[in-house]
Amino acid sequence: MTPALPDILRGNFLSLAIPAPVESQGEFMTGRVGVIALLSLLAAQEAERGTTARIWENAAIGAMLAEAADAYGPQYAEVAEVAAIEAVDLSLEGLDRANAALRRGLIALQEAVESAGDTARWKAINGLYAEMAERRKLELPPLPAR
Amino acid sequence: MSADLKEGLEAYLTALWGAPAAVTNLSRIPGGASRETYRLDADIGGVTRGMILRRDPPGSLIDTDRRLEFLAYRTVHGHVPAPQAIALEETGGALERPFFLMERIDGGVVPSPFVFDPYGQHAEALGREFFTTLGRLAALDHAGTPLSEVAPAPAAQDCWRVALDHWSAVIEADEQHPQPIVRAAIRWLARHPPPPAQRVSIVHGDYRTGNFLHDGAGKILAILDWEMAHLGDPLEDLGWAFDPLWNHFDEGKVGGMVPRETAIALWEAASGLKVDPAALEWWSLFNAVKGQAIWTSAAKEYRDGGFTDPVLAISGWYTARRQDQILAARLARLEAI
Repeated sequence: MTPALPDILRGNFLSLAIPAPVESQGEFMTGRVGVIALLSLLAAQEAERGTTARIWENAAIGAMLAEAADAYGPQYAEVAEVAAIEAVDLSLEGLDRANAALRRGLIALQEAVESAGDTARWKAINGLYAEMAERRKLELPPLPAR
Repeated sequence: MSADLKEGLEAYLTALWGAPAAVTNLSRIPGGASRETYRLDADIGGVTRGMILRRDPPGSLIDTDRRLEFLAYRTVHGHVPAPQAIALEETGGALERPFFLMERIDGGVVPSPFVFDPYGQHAEALGREFFTTLGRLAALDHAGTPLSEVAPAPAAQDCWRVALDHWSAVIEADEQHPQPIVRAAIRWLARHPPPPAQRVSIVHGDYRTGNFLHDGAGKILAILDWEMAHLGDPLEDLGWAFDPLWNHFDEGKVGGMVPRETAIALWEAASGLKVDPAALEWWSLFNAVKGQAIWTSAAKEYRDGGFTDPVLAISGWYTARRQDQILAARLARLEAI
């Protein structure tokens, strides 16, 4: 996922630290500060849940690929194994690196599943997507209109 | 006030009108993430004109053609609520980057799409006007309009393919982390094309809550942000306006304004077209793809721009994740591969 949490926090700092031209200091800056505040709130959610979500997602995709290996080829099990080794690094960056490999494997698998007309596995992958998206979600507070 | 921007504008307007022009009250305003937007007063020969300046930024949410946006305003002004476009400068010249000027409509508000209940007791009145206006746009004949000079008209049976190819290419170009969910949706859309467009119409391209100015009393003053205008299937706009991303925490109303069935009935009455449910489903999934393409570009622009624009951050991060939820929910409901 991009941008990563460090990008957001670094960006919040830069957005406030760099002086704005005078014509941007009124209504525009008020709106900008509101967005930065919201980003900080969402960053807190990501700091709290981001690692857990990534570990779960990497394991779930790995399991999906490993399970498909018998029917679709050993390359999928190999992707899962390599990613599992990389996922020993529990930093967000390390988990995302493993996640990228796993997601590429999942894309290739679903394309193969579609070519084979394997509806059951296609639906299982779609179901996995729903859970991945749910676990990655950031919750926007119901802010009142100004 | 930045002397460069103010003086550049004064020099430009003086040359444009052949009389000394003075710029006052120059102030950048939020919104319009693909261009810098400023409010200003221009005094020419004792007459003050309220204007909006839209200038290309160094980095933006989407790469769009300011000529196309300018001509879109020229086309729709007088047909739907929209400000008149005044002048276009494509080389940048006086302001260093390309820009255009349009008339300012005062006295209105544009709520963020991500706030709770922004329209209050006026939600239904605004929703009725919003979807009726969209129907009128679909009914507008684009032949011979300024927009048709620059916007190619696809054949009715090709509208879906042109749109899908365009946004798929954006994801292909700007993706920084593999996105299996949106890619699954793209493949499904390509395997299950919708019926041909009933009419090739002017498509706003970003017709949603948060992109119109209202008077706080139930009347829409202007439909804004025409930078993604093009010719295509009018159901594209309807599907985008219906995306759950824009529902203001109210799942029972589209755009946080009126129930979906009401919106469809209003649109049909104003456009003279019928909504094919299957076609709308296709365009709804397509719009979730289009949204994800826009947020993917925003994430790339945020990085390329040195992480300094928080609007790009919120688009490339929160909105992208929410769009993935919407896409995944739609995919999970599909029965056929």
